[in-house]
Amino acid sequence: MRSSVKLHPTRWDAAVAAVILLLAAVTGGAYWSRTLSAGNRLQAVVSADGRELDRVDLTALSAPETRTYSGSGYSLTVEFSAEGVRVASSDCTNQDCVHTGEIHHAGRSIVCLPARISIQLTGGAEDAAVDAVIG
Amino acid sequence: MKLTTRQLTLCAVLTALALGLSYMENFIPLGLLIPLPGIKLGLANIVTIFALYALGPTQAMLILIARCTLGAVFAGNLNALLFSLMGGLSAMLVMIGLSRLRRLSIYGVSMGGAAAHNCGQVAAAMVTLGNAAPLAYLPVLLAVSLLSGTLTGYLAGLLFRALEQTGLMK
Amino acid sequence: MTRKMKRAALALAAALLCGALSGCGAEEPAVTETFAMDTVMRFTAYGKNGQAAADAADREVRRLEALLDRTDGDSEVSRVNSGAGAPVTVSGETGRLIQSARTFSEDTGGAFDITIAPVMDAWGFTTDEKHVPDRGTLDSLLPLVDSGTIAVEDRGDTAQVTIGEGQSIDLGGIAKGYASERIEAIFREQGVASALAYLGGNVYAHGEKPDGAPWRVAVQDPQDTDSCTGVLSLRDAYAITSGGYQRYFEQDGQTYHHIIDPATGYPADSGLLSVTIVAPAVGPDGGDGLTGGTMADAFSTALFVMGEERAIDFWRRSGYEFDMVLVTADGRLLVTDGLEKKFERNEDAGYIYEIIR
Repeated sequence: MRSSVKLHPTRWDAAVAAVILLLAAVTGGAYWSRTLSAGNRLQAVVSADGRELDRVDLTALSAPETRTYSGSGYSLTVEFSAEGVRVASSDCTNQDCVHTGEIHHAGRSIVCLPARISIQLTGGAEDAAVDAVIG
Repeated sequence: MKLTTRQLTLCAVLTALALGLSYMENFIPLGLLIPLPGIKLGLANIVTIFALYALGPTQAMLILIARCTLGAVFAGNLNALLFSLMGGLSAMLVMIGLSRLRRLSIYGVSMGGAAAHNCGQVAAAMVTLGNAAPLAYLPVLLAVSLLSGTLTGYLAGLLFRALEQTGLMK
Repeated sequence: MTRKMKRAALALAAALLCGALSGCGAEEPAVTETFAMDTVMRFTAYGKNGQAAADAADREVRRLEALLDRTDGDSEVSRVNSGAGAPVTVSGETGRLIQSARTFSEDTGGAFDITIAPVMDAWGFTTDEKHVPDRGTLDSLLPLVDSGTIAVEDRGDTAQVTIGEGQSIDLGGIAKGYASERIEAIFREQGVASALAYLGGNVYAHGEKPDGAPWRVAVQDPQDTDSCTGVLSLRDAYAITSGGYQRYFEQDGQTYHHIIDPATGYPADSGLLSVTIVAPAVGPDGGDGLTGGTMADAFSTALFVMGEERAIDFWRRSGYEFDMVLVTADGRLLVTDGLEKKFERNEDAGYIYEIIR
């Protein structure tokens, strides 16, 4: 025998077992909180001309919040709430953005063409996630 | 490294044993519980532990590499090589380290080896799939490694006792 | 074991750990958003050439817009429209696109017709001063709606296009579809395996997502824009929807939408609320003209005009390769059998579901 080895379990084996269990708990916890944090928070992303202007975490809102954005000479007043987002008012020519109303689901967006501003919802429940909405 | 004929024969026998164990554990449908491709219990680690103590790390490593390569050749599957090597090497390295701690018994070393074996397998799965999805199974596998480590340790212990009786181990 | 081995072991362990950790975090795609062709567009591309591909797609849609926009005096379509009965030289690309439009017009019995432009102008859809034109005006303009008078002579790099005097063409009904086809080619050229091009309601899904799942595209419910009739699972496919609810105006209590029936000059009243065409990708060899984005775009409007019966008949017999989702005014959701396994319907939308075989 090159080296001797104890064939009966010792106290220190329990320590090894404890370390492994701890590792299991830590990796489990880390993975769990990661899936909770990244994917599921419903966020509204406001972009002008393709560049991100603002990102609002809707799940963190306790009361509706209003913000104003401008693009290409037009101005939009956007209302964010825990349920969704809508364009409250706009001075654009066709008012399509206001007529869209409130959107609630990830993947949907409100677009103001004259202002070249788009508001898109991302995140939310994983199983309902779609990559695009046509129609 | 020079091996005596006796040592060489022992290595060969152990390699064959490891291959046999490796083959046999394919019949245990672990895939039903944990759906990672190529996932195995790691019973061949019995041989790895045994070789580590009985013959030393160098020969144990030799047996490990021989067993993994031949195993992949027989299975005709290159992916299997990745999984066995990553599982086996990780287990080997951790066990080499743990075996230096005199206060641990074969059980502690073997559990550490089993845990490392599973980490290696998850890493291999991540490489194969190209994403981090397999990490989700790590917590479960680590917990299970306590059981498989105990089993492997126990069986290796039996092997030691049996061989001591025959006087083969001098 | 020796110190050297210990060090080697530690190094290997560290390497393994690093390797494992770097695998964390799903791959992030390159996303480009742009405004072109009177709509918002988003290009999402994975892989190391993703950003290059998204940028190339952006440049391509701008190039096409400059070529095809009839409200732009410098565009080739504008020049064709000022031809006044004489041949106009344009690029081969524009010529071939016009030729395709002509073919689609013939094959759909005139349900799709790019010469509808004068009628659309009469309704004010292009100038945003929408109103119902009077009967007399429409009667005088309808004879100008006739793709049969379009003549295209393809000369490779260039083409000669002749339209009748007083006629005017508008490629708005296929421009986005054609652009999405050009983007398919760009994705292939750039070696991108997984990407999604969204062109304001037109989608081209290239490959599948990096985790092996198909691209999921929801089809909006015409009666509830915050909801969908179902979700399509797409791989290497185009999906394009047309519906009256997309653009409309009201006058004297009546609703008028933007999809004009070339036969009557009035918004199509065919009993359909929306038509979604799903067509396979063209592929690396350019395809056989029986599938693709241009076709899907043209047919989404054409079949809306045709109505349920003619549309189903067309789907069965035309020889073109596509599937469709129809939403009828009487509450039915019809899906052709090619989509049976690829359309996950939304039961809460309350439609009666039928599969057309």
